[in-house]
Amino acid sequence: MAVFRETYYIYLRNLKVWMMPATFLPPLFISGVLYVLFAATFTEVTQLGGFSTGDYDAFLVAWIIVQAVVFSGGDSGFALLTDIMSGYFDKLLLAPINRFSILFGSLLVSGTRAMFQGVVIVVIALILGVSFKTGFLGVLALLGFAAVFGLAWACLSIIIALKTKNAQATQSSFVLFFPFVFLTTAFMPEELLSGWFRIAVKMNPVTYVTEAMRAIVVEGWEMGVILTGLWVTIATVGVLMVVTTWLYRRVTV
Amino acid sequence: MSSNEIIQVENLVKVYPGGTRAVNDVSFSVNQGEFFGFLGPNGAGKSTTMKILGTLLGRTSGRAMVGGYDVARNPKEVRRAIGFAMQEVGLDDLATGWDFLVMQGLLYGMSRREAKVRTQELLELVALTDVAKRKVGAYSGGMRRRIDLAAALVHRPSILFLDEPTTGLDPQSRLAIWEHLEQLNQEGITIFLTTQMMEEADHLCERIAIIDQGEIAAEGKPSELKSEVGDDLVALTVAGEDEAERHSQAERARQLLSPLEYVDDVFAADGSVSVNVKDGGAAIPTLLQTLAKEDIAIVNLTLTSPTLDDVFLKHTGRTIRQEEAGGDEFNRVMGQWMGVSRR
Repeated sequence: MAVFRETYYIYLRNLKVWMMPATFLPPLFISGVLYVLFAATFTEVTQLGGFSTGDYDAFLVAWIIVQAVVFSGGDSGFALLTDIMSGYFDKLLLAPINRFSILFGSLLVSGTRAMFQGVVIVVIALILGVSFKTGFLGVLALLGFAAVFGLAWACLSIIIALKTKNAQATQSSFVLFFPFVFLTTAFMPEELLSGWFRIAVKMNPVTYVTEAMRAIVVEGWEMGVILTGLWVTIATVGVLMVVTTWLYRRVTV
Repeated sequence: MSSNEIIQVENLVKVYPGGTRAVNDVSFSVNQGEFFGFLGPNGAGKSTTMKILGTLLGRTSGRAMVGGYDVARNPKEVRRAIGFAMQEVGLDDLATGWDFLVMQGLLYGMSRREAKVRTQELLELVALTDVAKRKVGAYSGGMRRRIDLAAALVHRPSILFLDEPTTGLDPQSRLAIWEHLEQLNQEGITIFLTTQMMEEADHLCERIAIIDQGEIAAEGKPSELKSEVGDDLVALTVAGEDEAERHSQAERARQLLSPLEYVDDVFAADGSVSVNVKDGGAAIPTLLQTLAKEDIAIVNLTLTSPTLDDVFLKHTGRTIRQEEAGGDEFNRVMGQWMGVSRR
């Protein structure tokens, strides 16, 4: 099918753009630093009880991946707008290709980027001595979660990009989504939270994604938690993908 | 319409959201193999028309056929038939020239091997082989236009759309682009070009349409359009010992030249003779021979022809250069910015 071939070529081109060291290294560096700093700061907090593991380094892995994906989530919209502003997007539209291959090629890069961020954090976790309860298969599942979760944020950034048509606005408006990252069981299990914060955490879909990924690292194949997280992720991606393709269609057809 | 017409535009209208009527009932056609130009100032509707023809923009009403296909109904077929180089050059600055062209080839359905062979050919054509491995972002303005032209040619299109291909280039780079375009046209490619430079339209185009405020003001061969504006003017200064002799020689010259068949009008004043003729270049030898036979010596001769700017002036009441300067618009924007209201 021509559309797969076209998507693949655009994916490769966008991957090259992302793989510029100045683009992909800083977010990875920040995530690594955050991981090491938080792990060092809160290492004794598991003494409070209520944690599913005594290893705080392992407890943090899932959330560090989640925040890494969200922090660089604006990149997809930014990259799309950069191409639109440079006129390269028009050059792609002028080629006799399926116009959605341009969108899908871009989204696939965000999935790859999220997976790569996951790999780096898993490697740091292994260096810190974290043992993954679900083994190698679990690590693969974790990376799969990261990729699909990355797609959701890529869709969101493309929606903002197509609505604002402003690259700076697209990147800076992503700050608005940081509460979603922190209003989760980022540092403490739900049982140790209270009041409005606990309610907000329960209402935040990111919590369920974090919990599912965390279960894979520290608890094992806890299918109840994992499937809940999976459905939340897929539903979020599904809704955002529909909005993205609808908006994209309006802009390009 | 004749079957030789490769671009057919009928009553094309484009109204942007907000109500701006960028293209207003435009009709024209371009023949196969023709070098056709759209001449007009900024904001005249040139780029909008071209973007509609290139399938980048939808039309509000009217019909546009390119290469035998309706741009709205068969956009993919149109895209296969055309090459399109834009005013805002759409390049991938992070790719090397080589990778950029190979990617273009792949997007047009070539195998990787075919795309590489074609890239090699095109780099040689636009004389960029030496810098093929350099990032496009590091190319000069002229090199960027040339690689963009190469990208537009990657799939061997039969029609080439060029939106102001030399705007902002130095004279040397402009000349290089012109040579490429003339060569491509000689090879049989139909070229549709927009420009706001009269010299460019005059030098390259067999036929032009002057577009202003979304409407076609005039259409035809540059030479025809210019001759419609008026004759060439041959100005002669006669020799003479003193003012009185020069005066009488000029008057004699007037009387000798007036009856000539292709001379429309002759004026003599202060030792100078102004001759209005259809084709100044062709008339000069006969004018000089006629005067030489009667021993009237000429010390100076100038030939002035109408320019496309005169054509534009005749049809729109303004010159393109006035339009380009955009003084009113500049003052309006600056006035708003500085809080000055204009009444």
